[in-house]
Amino acid sequence: MDVSQYLEIFLDETNEHLQNLNTQILELESDPENMDNINEIFRAAHSLKGMAGTMGYKRMQNLTHDMENVFSEVRNGNIKVTPEMIDVLFQCLDALEEYKNNIQETSDEGTNDNENLIKALNDILNGSKTGQAQPAKEEKATAPAAESTGTGAEKWNDIAFDDSQIRVIKEAMKQGKNVYGINVVVQDSCILKAARAFLVFKAVEEKGEIIVSVPSAQDVEDEKFDKDFTLIVLSDYSLDDVIKAAESVSEIAQVTGAVLELEKTKNYHSEEETQEPAQEKKEEVAETKTETRKEEKKPAAAKAPEKKQVSKPVVNRTVRVDIEKLDSLMNLVSELIIAKNSLVAASSNDQGNNTAFNEQIEYLENVTTNLHESVMKVRMVPIESVVVKFPRMIRDLSKKLDKKMELYMTGEETELDRTVVDEIGDPLMHLLRNSADHGLESAEVRAQRGKPEQGSIFLDAYQDGNNVVIEVRDDGNGIDVEAVKNKAIERNLVTVEQAANMPEKDIINLLFQPGFSTSEKVTDVSGRGVGLDVVKSKIESLSGEVEVKSKWGEGSTWTIRLPLTLAIIQALMVVVGGEKYAISLGSIQTIEDISPKDIKLVENKEVINLRGTVIPLIRLTEVLDVESTRSPEDNLIVVIVKKGDKMAGLVIDELIGQQEIVIKSLGKYIKQCKFISGATILGDGEVALILDANALL
Amino acid sequence: MEELSMKNTLKAGDERKIEEEFFQYIVIRLGDEQYGIDIRYIDNIVRMQHITRVPKVPAYLKGVINLRGEVLPVMSLRLKMGLEADELTRATRIIILKLEQQGSVGIIVDEVKEVVTLGTSQIEKMSQNAGENKKSFITGVGKHNGELISLLDLNSITLEENA
Repeated sequence: MDVSQYLEIFLDETNEHLQNLNTQILELESDPENMDNINEIFRAAHSLKGMAGTMGYKRMQNLTHDMENVFSEVRNGNIKVTPEMIDVLFQCLDALEEYKNNIQETSDEGTNDNENLIKALNDILNGSKTGQAQPAKEEKATAPAAESTGTGAEKWNDIAFDDSQIRVIKEAMKQGKNVYGINVVVQDSCILKAARAFLVFKAVEEKGEIIVSVPSAQDVEDEKFDKDFTLIVLSDYSLDDVIKAAESVSEIAQVTGAVLELEKTKNYHSEEETQEPAQEKKEEVAETKTETRKEEKKPAAAKAPEKKQVSKPVVNRTVRVDIEKLDSLMNLVSELIIAKNSLVAASSNDQGNNTAFNEQIEYLENVTTNLHESVMKVRMVPIESVVVKFPRMIRDLSKKLDKKMELYMTGEETELDRTVVDEIGDPLMHLLRNSADHGLESAEVRAQRGKPEQGSIFLDAYQDGNNVVIEVRDDGNGIDVEAVKNKAIERNLVTVEQAANMPEKDIINLLFQPGFSTSEKVTDVSGRGVGLDVVKSKIESLSGEVEVKSKWGEGSTWTIRLPLTLAIIQALMVVVGGEKYAISLGSIQTIEDISPKDIKLVENKEVINLRGTVIPLIRLTEVLDVESTRSPEDNLIVVIVKKGDKMAGLVIDELIGQQEIVIKSLGKYIKQCKFISGATILGDGEVALILDANALL
Repeated sequence: MEELSMKNTLKAGDERKIEEEFFQYIVIRLGDEQYGIDIRYIDNIVRMQHITRVPKVPAYLKGVINLRGEVLPVMSLRLKMGLEADELTRATRIIILKLEQQGSVGIIVDEVKEVVTLGTSQIEKMSQNAGENKKSFITGVGKHNGELISLLDLNSITLEENA
């Protein structure tokens, strides 16, 4: 059976089921009695088994089969969930993961039989068997479903057969073949109905010949059916065999069937009376038949070209798009915005009152902004796909490090650009491992400090203006500033004098230096000293930043701040010393007109008191090495920018206005400048630099 | 925008020996001297245009320009080679180099004169000791119609100085 075209779907679903199992088993560990969890696990394991079986991955099927057995016993109350059992189950998941990876790379599951795991599972089973015969799981799985959906009963009797079909059926009956009516109900939750149905067709065709399908095979493949379809099958096998074959496909809620009695069918007696409607039907059904026939003749070969037709409706409301195509779309949108900006510039230069023209330009502006937003949205995915694996990781770490800990996550639905999400996993993992290993104290120390035995690690994600903030927090030890200081001196990162004068914050930031690790002993969890500088450089390569706050004895918070979008931003255009610069609107709070009299000096630095807040001033002319074009007596134009809880006032010469700008890299040739985050091309073709307000603070 | 597009085809069949290798160079003027730039590294030649200054970079890096939607860095060849600052004239051009390591970089030259084909026999490699005590930007000297053309070493020109 050629199933390669479903490999992708299989892999996707396997991923989903594995993830689901991971989550559920984790929950089960904390609440071993929860029947909902047990049922869910059983169902996921069962689906996995079915899928692996359909795809011909026997080893995977065997392993899931044994897992399923264990759960079936748990469900029946014959075994209690024990920590050892959870461990074995997790190992099984790892093994399944390995199978999946093998399949992904080579489309073969590999040769690892994982006999020890299967044995461990069987030991669990045997240890608990109380002489009770093991109930047939297959029935169990489908029984509750069957009760809930009783819709498919005897539907085959409603089928209107045409003459030729009736002839075929009669002929088959004469030859002693069995004719069955089969009704298949797909689970409500099933997403890829057509693919499932196709697999059912495949499975049933192995047992016999499908002569009629309602809706037609084509419609079924195009997903033009609600949740059930009816087949008329000619077969040498028994009814049970055929039904079993159909049931072997996962996500099928119910398969009912019976021997077809022609007398009972709708059209049997009416065929002579009403020629007209039958005629009408005929065409439709005939079409169906040829379709079905064609498939029967060369099941494998005929499928290949039909793949497109199947996958088109399968993807339904979502389309998989190569990220490169999106990138090129994004580039085109960028070009369009640059072109639009030059039109805007041209129209403002030319002072004529051509209202119609200006209106159209405004309209164009609207459209390009919306277009940009839509393209950006297309690229956004929730960070859930990355963080969902962390609870399991923390659980494993907990065992390994022999510390009790729990991970609490919020904001998994926060969305980020796809490219960012793909890259953010490793840094987050580093930080979490760090918290687990270095952050949380051992049980004794925690007891001494009066903290609960179980350490807590928090992962919170949320959107903050044009940024997404991800925080990794723990209630552990906090950073030992003295230890960091000593280590830094030892590693010759700073001199003793330097260290003595360094503020605590700067010392903590030394942690991000390459080759720095304060852990006394090197563990395989963390502590090789390669972690934090990698985290920092990774985040910075995504134009983000990472900060750490810590209080000795109380814990530390790592804050990652990432830009929502990477390519196009809303910016304020300003003039400093005759040169144009862009400042991202995301970091701007307000723009103030300040009289020189209001500037005060604190520690020899200029500050202003703005509505009760003291804000330091940064003269951009000094930062950028240019001469201001304004006289010192003039009022100052101050752009108030904010980063986290820090604020500053940037003194500029002139305001131009708000503009949508396309961020271009300055290239690797010019990279020295920290506070220039890139460049953009203005409407008149000139290049303006983008000031990174965050780096100025 | 004036652009010279040049093909990388070598003129074959001169009276020179067949095993000799030929290279094409674009001859530029910088002050009173003539320099040759290997044509294989040249992406484009554009007229002088507004250069946006980038703060806090070495003086020879003049800034960035917009070349058909791409932002490219531009450096002053004169300043890099320790000559006086550029005097912009109508003949001033920016040559866009495409280098493997450094990416695209523009260099400002006083004038672009011609394309010449030089065979290995016409090129005299710079002797080793000349480059040792002082930083050299020249790989060799070519002779063409009785004139000397210094051949620029693009890598040493464009690579950052490691102070």
